[in-house]
Amino acid sequence: MSGLSVGMLLFLVSVGMSLIFGVTRIVNLAHGAFYMVGAYLMVTLVEFLPDRPWAFWLALLLAPVGVAVLGGVIEVGLLRLIYRRDPLMQLILTFGLILVIGTLVLLVWGPDNKSVPRPEALAGSVKIFGQPFPSYYVLVLVLAPLVAVALWLLFYRTRWGMLVRAATVDREMLGALGVNVAALYTQVFVFGSWLAGFGGALAAPTVAVALGMDGDVLTTAFVVVVIGGLGSFAGSFIGALLVGLLQSFGILIFPAVSIVLLFALMAVVLIVRPWGLFGRPEA
Amino acid sequence: MSPRSWLAFVVVALAVAPLVLPSFFLQLLTEIAIVGLFATAFNLLMGFGGMVSFGHAAYFALGAYTAALLVKRVGVPLLAALPAAPLVAAAGALLFGFFIVRLSHTYFAMLSLAFAQIVFTVIFKWKALTGGDDGLLDVWPPSLLKSPAAYYYFTLIIVGLCILALHAIVDSPFGYALKAVRENPRRARYIGIDVRRHQLAAFVISGAFSGVAGGLFAFYNGSVFPDFAYFTKSFEPLVVALLGGVQSFFGPLAGAFGFKILEWMISRQWPVYWPLFLGAIVVVVIVVLPSGFVGLVGGRRWRRRPAAKA
Repeated sequence: MSGLSVGMLLFLVSVGMSLIFGVTRIVNLAHGAFYMVGAYLMVTLVEFLPDRPWAFWLALLLAPVGVAVLGGVIEVGLLRLIYRRDPLMQLILTFGLILVIGTLVLLVWGPDNKSVPRPEALAGSVKIFGQPFPSYYVLVLVLAPLVAVALWLLFYRTRWGMLVRAATVDREMLGALGVNVAALYTQVFVFGSWLAGFGGALAAPTVAVALGMDGDVLTTAFVVVVIGGLGSFAGSFIGALLVGLLQSFGILIFPAVSIVLLFALMAVVLIVRPWGLFGRPEA
Repeated sequence: MSPRSWLAFVVVALAVAPLVLPSFFLQLLTEIAIVGLFATAFNLLMGFGGMVSFGHAAYFALGAYTAALLVKRVGVPLLAALPAAPLVAAAGALLFGFFIVRLSHTYFAMLSLAFAQIVFTVIFKWKALTGGDDGLLDVWPPSLLKSPAAYYYFTLIIVGLCILALHAIVDSPFGYALKAVRENPRRARYIGIDVRRHQLAAFVISGAFSGVAGGLFAFYNGSVFPDFAYFTKSFEPLVVALLGGVQSFFGPLAGAFGFKILEWMISRQWPVYWPLFLGAIVVVVIVVLPSGFVGLVGGRRWRRRPAAKA
C-alpha cells in the first residue's frame, strides 16, 4: 500500500517530466529541483499561514503555483533561446539549473532538514485489511488518481490537450498549421513544473524536506519515464506504479540492492526497447 | 606563437613550477592535470566520437577504487596498483559500452547514466569491500612520492604520456574513422567502417584513460569515496570540456585549468556559492559561448558542423 502511494507521488513528478519532453524534446533534469522547491514552499507557507484547518489546503494550492511561476521564468528566460540547439546542450543547461536552484534553496532555507505537519484530520491512521495505514497516504491515493483522470480528460477531451498531443507527434506540422508553438511550449513547461511542484507539496508531509531530495526524486522519476516511455502519459502512470511497488517490495526483500534492481530494470528496458514500454521509437 | 612553441612554453613552465610555486599551488596543478586527463579522455567520446556519456564518473571511480583497494587490501605497491586502474576501468567500459553504443543521442546518455548509478550503488552498499559511505582512507603514495613536488612530477609524467597517447589515437586512421562516424554514421557504414565497433573501441579507450585519472586522483587525495561515481561527478569532465571547447584536442586541458582556478578563487571566498557559480557558468557558456573559451581564441583545426537538429 505505501508502495502504491509512493508510486502515485512519483507519477505526478514523472508525468510532468514526460509531458515536457513530449512537447519540447527537452529532458528537464531540473525537474527534481522543481519538486524540491515545491516541498520547501510548502514548509514556508504552512509556517506562515495562520494555524487554521484550511491553511494546509491553501498551502497545497499555492506552493505548486509558485513552482509553476519559476518554471515559466526559466522557460521564457533561458530554454526558449536554445530549442534549436543540440539536445545534449539542453540537457547540460538543465543540469546547470539543478546546481543554481540547489544553492539558492540552501541560501533561502538553510542546511537543516524541515518537516511539514500533516493536517489534523489526517494525522492518524486507518485500518485497511486489518493493517494500520496512515490516513495521509489515503489522501495521496485519492488525490493523485484524481489528477491522473483530470489529466486524461485534459489531454483527450479538450482542444488544448489535442494540441499538446499533436505537438508530441509533429511540431513543425503543428506550427505550419498556424498554432503558436512557442506559446504552447511555455504553457506545457509551466504546467509540467506545476505538476512537479504539486508532487513536492503533496509529498512534503510524508518525507524529511531536505537538500538532496531533488537528486533522489530525479533519478527515480527518470527511471519511471524511461521505463514507461518518454512523452507517454500511460507510460508514466504504469511506470510510476511499477517503480513504486518495486521500491517498497525491494526494500523488504533485498534492502541492499533495491536501487540496483531499479537501474537494472531501466537498463534492460533501454537495451530491449530504448523508447520505453509505451513510447514511440525515435524518429 | 606557433602551436609548437606554445607547447614548449607550457612544458617548460610546468617543469620549473615547483622551483617557484609554494606547495599549495603544486597540489592545485596536480589536480588540474588529473582533471585535464579525465576531461580529455571524455572528450575523445564527446568531441571526436559525437557521443556524450553522462556516466563517466563510473570509470573514474573504478580506476580510483581499483588502485585504492589493491594498495589497501592486497598491499600491492603503487607502481603495480596504478596500471591495474585502467585495466579494470576498461573492462567496465567494455561491459557497459557493449550495450550503451547500441543507442544514440539522448538514450546513449541515459543508459550511460544508469550504469554509472549502478556502479555508485554497488560501491555505496558493498561496505565490506569498499567501506561504503566512509570510503577508504589513508591511501597515500610511498614516501618517495609523498611530497607535493614529487607527486606533482609523477602525475605530470603520467598525464603527459596519456595525453600523447590520446593525441596519437586522435591523429591515427582510427581517429579519422571515428570522426567520420560522428559526422555521418550511415555514410561511414557504406564506406566499410564498422560503426559500433569503432564507437565501442572509443568508449573503452576513453574509459581506460578515465581510470588512469581516477587512480592518480586516489593517491593525490589519499582517500576514495562513493561520490567519485555519483552523477554530479560525471558532469565534471563535461563542464570542463565544454568550458575549454570540445572541438579542439587541447580544449579540455585549458578548460581544466580555467575550471580549477575559478573553483579555487570562488570557493576560497564563498565556499557555499561555488555550485551556484558553476551552474551559472554552465548556463552562460551554453547560451552565449557555444564553442567554449578556446573557441574565442579560435581553435579551428577540428571545427565540426553544427549538430543536426533533433
